[in-house]
Amino acid sequence: MTGGAWLCLLAPLGGTSLITLCGTRIPRVAAAWIATTSVFVAFGGAVWAFVSLRSQNGHRGEFTTAWTWLESGNFHAGLQLFVDPLSTVMMLIVSGVGGLIVLYSIGYMDGDDEERRYFAYISFFVFSMLLLVEGGNLLLLLAGWGLVGLSSYLLIGFWHERPSAVEAAKKAFVMNAFGDATMALAFFILIAHTHSLSFVSGFGVGLSPTAVNLVALGLLGGAAAKSAQIPLQTWLPDAMEGPTPVSALIHAATMVTAGVYLIARTHFIFEQARTVELIAAGTGALTLLVAGLIALVQVDIKRVIAYSTMSQIGYMFLGAGVGAYSSGMFHLMTHAFFKALLFMTAGLAIHALAGEQDIRNMRGLGRLMPFTKWCFLAGALALVGIPPFSGFFSKDSIVASTAALGTWYGWIFWVCGIAGAFLTGLYTFRLWFLVFPGEPSPFVREHHHKHHGREGAWTMLVPVGVLAVLATVGGWLQWSPQWHPFSDWLEPAARTLAVAAPTNTQEYYTSVATVLAGLAGIAVAWAIYSERKLAIPAAPFWRRTLEHKFWFDELYDAVFYKPTAAFAAALRREFEEPVVLQTGPDLGRTTLETGGFVRRIQTGLLRTYVLFLAAGAAGVVLAFLIAK
Amino acid sequence: MSTLVAASAGNVLVWIVWVVAVFSCLGSGIAVITFSNPFYSALALIGNLGSLAVMYLLLSAEFVAAAQVLVYAGAVVVMFLFVIAYVGPRRETPWSGGPSWQTVGAVGAAGALLVEIVVAVGMQANGSLHSDGRVGAAFGTPAWVGRVFLIDHLLAFEITSVVLLIAAVGGVILGSHTRRTA
Amino acid sequence: MLGPDVAWYVAVAAVLFGIGALGVLIRRNTLVVLLSLELMLNAGNLALIALSRHWHNGSGQIFALAVMAVAASEVCVGLGLVVALNRRRLSLDVDTLSELRG
Repeated sequence: MTGGAWLCLLAPLGGTSLITLCGTRIPRVAAAWIATTSVFVAFGGAVWAFVSLRSQNGHRGEFTTAWTWLESGNFHAGLQLFVDPLSTVMMLIVSGVGGLIVLYSIGYMDGDDEERRYFAYISFFVFSMLLLVEGGNLLLLLAGWGLVGLSSYLLIGFWHERPSAVEAAKKAFVMNAFGDATMALAFFILIAHTHSLSFVSGFGVGLSPTAVNLVALGLLGGAAAKSAQIPLQTWLPDAMEGPTPVSALIHAATMVTAGVYLIARTHFIFEQARTVELIAAGTGALTLLVAGLIALVQVDIKRVIAYSTMSQIGYMFLGAGVGAYSSGMFHLMTHAFFKALLFMTAGLAIHALAGEQDIRNMRGLGRLMPFTKWCFLAGALALVGIPPFSGFFSKDSIVASTAALGTWYGWIFWVCGIAGAFLTGLYTFRLWFLVFPGEPSPFVREHHHKHHGREGAWTMLVPVGVLAVLATVGGWLQWSPQWHPFSDWLEPAARTLAVAAPTNTQEYYTSVATVLAGLAGIAVAWAIYSERKLAIPAAPFWRRTLEHKFWFDELYDAVFYKPTAAFAAALRREFEEPVVLQTGPDLGRTTLETGGFVRRIQTGLLRTYVLFLAAGAAGVVLAFLIAK
Repeated sequence: MSTLVAASAGNVLVWIVWVVAVFSCLGSGIAVITFSNPFYSALALIGNLGSLAVMYLLLSAEFVAAAQVLVYAGAVVVMFLFVIAYVGPRRETPWSGGPSWQTVGAVGAAGALLVEIVVAVGMQANGSLHSDGRVGAAFGTPAWVGRVFLIDHLLAFEITSVVLLIAAVGGVILGSHTRRTA
Repeated sequence: MLGPDVAWYVAVAAVLFGIGALGVLIRRNTLVVLLSLELMLNAGNLALIALSRHWHNGSGQIFALAVMAVAASEVCVGLGLVVALNRRRLSLDVDTLSELRG
């Protein structure tokens, strides 16, 4: 069991090292296949760990420690993995979906100048993410957290000759560093009070209410930054500057879901700080609405999907925040399937149109790319939550658990969830109707090209096909009112709170409401974008607000950047120029003058030097005599 | 009584020898720095070293006195004489040349050092520097020096020999004919 | 102890040291400077041996022997320099060797 976990963790690292060490001595294709193989080996390790954990009685989990990593006083942190139901689920998702994405990358990145670097980075990314989910204590989790931030920085900025990509990478890194800092502060409080960061059962129990609230807030800050929740969400859309498979990996399977994993993992702490946990849920509810609204006006195909990711992670936060951890994790899994699928089909479209990403130019692409079209449709229906596609099963139980709360905020969350479902239907099918049906537009006819007579290389089509199947059937694993093996599996690690366990009635009427809302969204999208029966409401203010993403960037610019820049400018004007720049020449001149005076002593005559020596000796002796 | 007379007679003799040695030592020292011809300076140094050896004998340092005569007078000064003969006679007026403040300063510094040392010695003269009794017969003999040197101060002995070796190599390199000149 | 006190020997050493220092400071001939250095070293030796006699301690004599060795080394190198200067047709006047002038 632990062997599988180590294999899973170290295989991608080995892949990275091998590609890096081999350098240009191996062909590009070899680097690509090394990365792919290493991630699939990691998936094998994850399956091994899963199977052996399953055969174990009670499957409560097991620690495995390689060696003591850090030691300070009575605080010890081992290089320690923790294999339990929660981490095996994450291992399977990360390495499985990650492997498919790396395979897809082979076709997508074919012909890029720096393919080897790309594949080294992407295996490193998978390694970091696996370290994050497998780490047996919060310190190791933080190490993985930071490495994920680093590798996402490297991948988003992969096309470093594009200034916008570099900017986006920096933005992602800075926003994430903010979350890392709040997390580190939370850890310090934990260490100060409990002397431990290990995930032993019930860790963090016995903190004072203030301390536990602070710790939970710090963890929430980290989770919100990594998962692009309000108010730390602004980096995610810009991160679309990276290659499309990276977008799929970061925004579907792995990085952005880390926040949800963190909440589920540290639910002991969050349950002691119930207010903070509900703040997390509220953040999720707000984010899912705001992101859904912004997605309505985006014209870049990847950005629409990015905002839908933010929105779906809002659902996950909502679920984890109210206490339905297994529902949140289940949505994390199905979302990994259908969102990776959506990104990859979008990547196929972008690839076929030679890099075009503007959906206004893509009309009628479906006629030329039927496989892409149907796969995208499967992903879109899963995203909206239409049965029997996977999103239906996972999203509805999250919304139902808000109804189970029965309090006023519970009903606000419920309404938000339903409204979010309507928005999801609207923006998803806006994308669909704008891009796929109908006659191909002149732009598409002009730019479309096939890859050896197919819609893409086989390495791209196979993962898309696999994910299309998973996005369709993946949700059948669990339908909460009737069968729930996923929740049962996670129960030892993250049991759903009693207050957030919906009754079957609540499940049913919530499902009806969400599906109706989703269908309504689809219908409105059809009326506006396909039949043109409805006009887009002319509300210039709201339109501008949405196009500016609720002015978050402008707000941060005004609140953080401008004052800092003004302060720096003032320092330059008031201090640097009058003080620093003035003293420099003065210092130089004084030194020169002193030197010019002193150099006259340097006669070059040996006897003068000896004379000074003798005079010095006489002076020293005199000093001794006086002291005596 | 007779031993006392003998002792005082020996004491007077020692005093006479000492006074002669001191005058010879200081006189030849002044001669070293005043002769304009370095050849004569080197010859005066021989006299200086010899009179110092006499004083060493009075201080019961027989081995050092012998070494002084052999090493200094016999080897070092002879080397000086060789080099002076090799480079040829060069005359210079001893008390002139260079900036005048240099000469004044030199006399001042040397005088200050002298006065300070004399003061320092004088402060101790009546106290701890007051002379005391006899020393053992072995004090200063070659056998005793050899024992002290090779048992108590072996490391110093070895270091000294290395210093000499390095100096010899340095001298050879500096004087070598085949050395490439820039 | 017969003869004068140790203090007198040390006083003689001081005077001899002053004479040597004066020679180093005012003579311009390299060879005479070296000879004056010998005077200073011997003044030191005299003081060492006198105090060695005073304290009944042999280390002073040993030190004097070491100083002799150092003096021999110094003469060796110094005379080597003189010979080298002479071979390059350079003056032995220390005042002409003033390339260190600031």
